[in-house]
Amino acid sequence: MSASQSAVRSRAEAVAVSRTFDWMILFVLFTAVLGGYHIHFMLTGGDWDFWSDWKDRRLWVTVVPIVAITFPAAVQACLWWRYRLPIGATLCVLALLLGEWINRYMNFWGWTYFPINICFPSQLIPGAIILDVVLMLSGSMTLTAVAGGLGWGLIFYPSNWPVIAPLHQPVEYNGMMFTLADLSGYHYVRTGTPEYIRMVEKGTLRTFGKDVAPVSAFFSGFVSVIIYFLWHFFGKWFAGTGFIADDAS
Amino acid sequence: MKIIKDKVASLSFVALLMALTAAMFYAPTASAHGEKSQAAFMRMRTIHWYDLNWSKDEVAVNETVTISGKFHVFSGWPESVDEPDVSFLNIGIPGPVFIRAGSWIGGQLVPRSVALSLGETYDFKVLLKARRPGDWHVHTMMNVQGGGPIIGPGKWVTITGSMSQFVNPIVTLTGKTLDLETYNIGNIYFWHAVWYAVGVAWMWYWAKGPIFIPRQLAVASGKANTLISAGDKKVGIAFLVGTIVANAVLMGTTNEAYPVTTPLQAGTMRGIIPLELPVPSVSVVVDDATYRVPGRAMQMSLTITNNGDSSVRLGEFMTASVRFLEPNVLEDETGYPDDLLAEEGLTVSDNSPLAPGETRSVSVTASDAAWEVYRLADLIYDPDSRFAGLLFFFDEAGNRQMVMVDAPLIPSFI
Ligand SMILES: [Cu+2]
Repeated sequence: MSASQSAVRSRAEAVAVSRTFDWMILFVLFTAVLGGYHIHFMLTGGDWDFWSDWKDRRLWVTVVPIVAITFPAAVQACLWWRYRLPIGATLCVLALLLGEWINRYMNFWGWTYFPINICFPSQLIPGAIILDVVLMLSGSMTLTAVAGGLGWGLIFYPSNWPVIAPLHQPVEYNGMMFTLADLSGYHYVRTGTPEYIRMVEKGTLRTFGKDVAPVSAFFSGFVSVIIYFLWHFFGKWFAGTGFIADDAS
Repeated sequence: MKIIKDKVASLSFVALLMALTAAMFYAPTASAHGEKSQAAFMRMRTIHWYDLNWSKDEVAVNETVTISGKFHVFSGWPESVDEPDVSFLNIGIPGPVFIRAGSWIGGQLVPRSVALSLGETYDFKVLLKARRPGDWHVHTMMNVQGGGPIIGPGKWVTITGSMSQFVNPIVTLTGKTLDLETYNIGNIYFWHAVWYAVGVAWMWYWAKGPIFIPRQLAVASGKANTLISAGDKKVGIAFLVGTIVANAVLMGTTNEAYPVTTPLQAGTMRGIIPLELPVPSVSVVVDDATYRVPGRAMQMSLTITNNGDSSVRLGEFMTASVRFLEPNVLEDETGYPDDLLAEEGLTVSDNSPLAPGETRSVSVTASDAAWEVYRLADLIYDPDSRFAGLLFFFDEAGNRQMVMVDAPLIPSFI
């Protein structure tokens, strides 16, 4: 068979093959992103995402969006510039959350018996929708980085709040005050995670008074903008096809 | 096509494996049996746990066990380990098989890290509530920032019953009663499912049409602008506005449902009160100490002076949680873990009562297989070859005095 000869014989067959190809690529992309993004996120976000008693108003709000915007920016770059598909961020976050839920359910709960209410993952889907839609509407990397990245940082806390708020109710326990999340962390013994490595409620944001979450969210949004640019370029570079001599694009 | 299909299939398989590996990659530390692998000097020259008591060795789910005792913070703390300015009283168990219902140092609840002082002795208590049936090795444990976990002795405790019976009732400051074991889980699943469905809907909107090849061809031939239709934009705006409005509304309704919330509580606790122990009236000078590798025995030459008003005898040498007893003076009645107890492990060349004012030089031998089993003998390979431990003397009335020893150790290989 020569290279110019088509592998399909009719238009209908071509469409069918194209669809099969779509699903296979989507599946490969989804699982590959799941693996890479999940490992990246565990190594960078780690405990902030694992434990409810790390999900505070300062560092969790700041750190998680910044380390999580990486893969969405890169995959958006590939899917948008090559296919005009505004699903990069959502695809990444759906993959990440699936991987996280498998991990939390099977390992944290199934293997080590931590109740799910202490080890559930952070919510990132609303932010991903914002990134994808802004990219689709603007078609601009700069605008997506600035408006999308800021939105990604800002919506993180509100979108997690319905799940987190119940755990921030105060309790008096043996003469000290705890939140329910603190109490879970104290009750459900983590031999390898002593209390002092918990990085919560630290930093100089105290000067802003009691409403530090919005300030943290803004700061997180700003840094997310920068990280978005960086990883968008990574994504573009990674999605290059310069290694094929006859590159169409 | 067949070749491409095969390639994609094998790639999918690799990706799937990668994904599964990643998902399986991490489980929180469940093991607690690190005591033997910990460097001997860490166990000998940091925290000395003694007078330990495990209140029960078999409990049913929901029942409690108390571990109580004292720990001495060694004044000759090794330089290679950070001082215990930020320490956390932990418990060495394989995951949350018990919940830690309470932990106290010097009567103070210590859910957070504390500052400990060198040379002081503290009493502590840990209250555990049984959760998961099985036989569990329960260790005392102190985590020291910059030093790692310092594991104390472990004892087997059996939990009977069924984990499904476990409850963890809590009353909040707003008067709500709830079970922390299951509280909020339904809510977590619900909102994660809702947003996952929104994400899948967005993906589905784009995946239902032809995706990769036709779109790539369109982009390559300069027709990229035709790929996003006015309808697509409307749907996108609906998703965007819907997401933002939903989150604003949810923030409001959540605040209404939970009007009282507080930030997470954190910060090192200072001012933990140590025990006030009387100054020992016995003084001990270590003239020399050797460890005989073939005999698994440590031999010390001690000069003991009794400055008190009652004659004393040496009853016990304890180091790294291993207790060497002089059987003529002391018998253990606390149910101390067998593997850490050398009931006849201590021999003293002359252990007749040492009268007040008297000074005597004696040779003391602490021998037991525990030196090897617990790898204490590895001490001789340390860069700073010293040993340390507690000596316990008993007077006629049975009163006990604790004397710390800390001296160089010379190995003997023949
Ligand atoms: Cu053990």
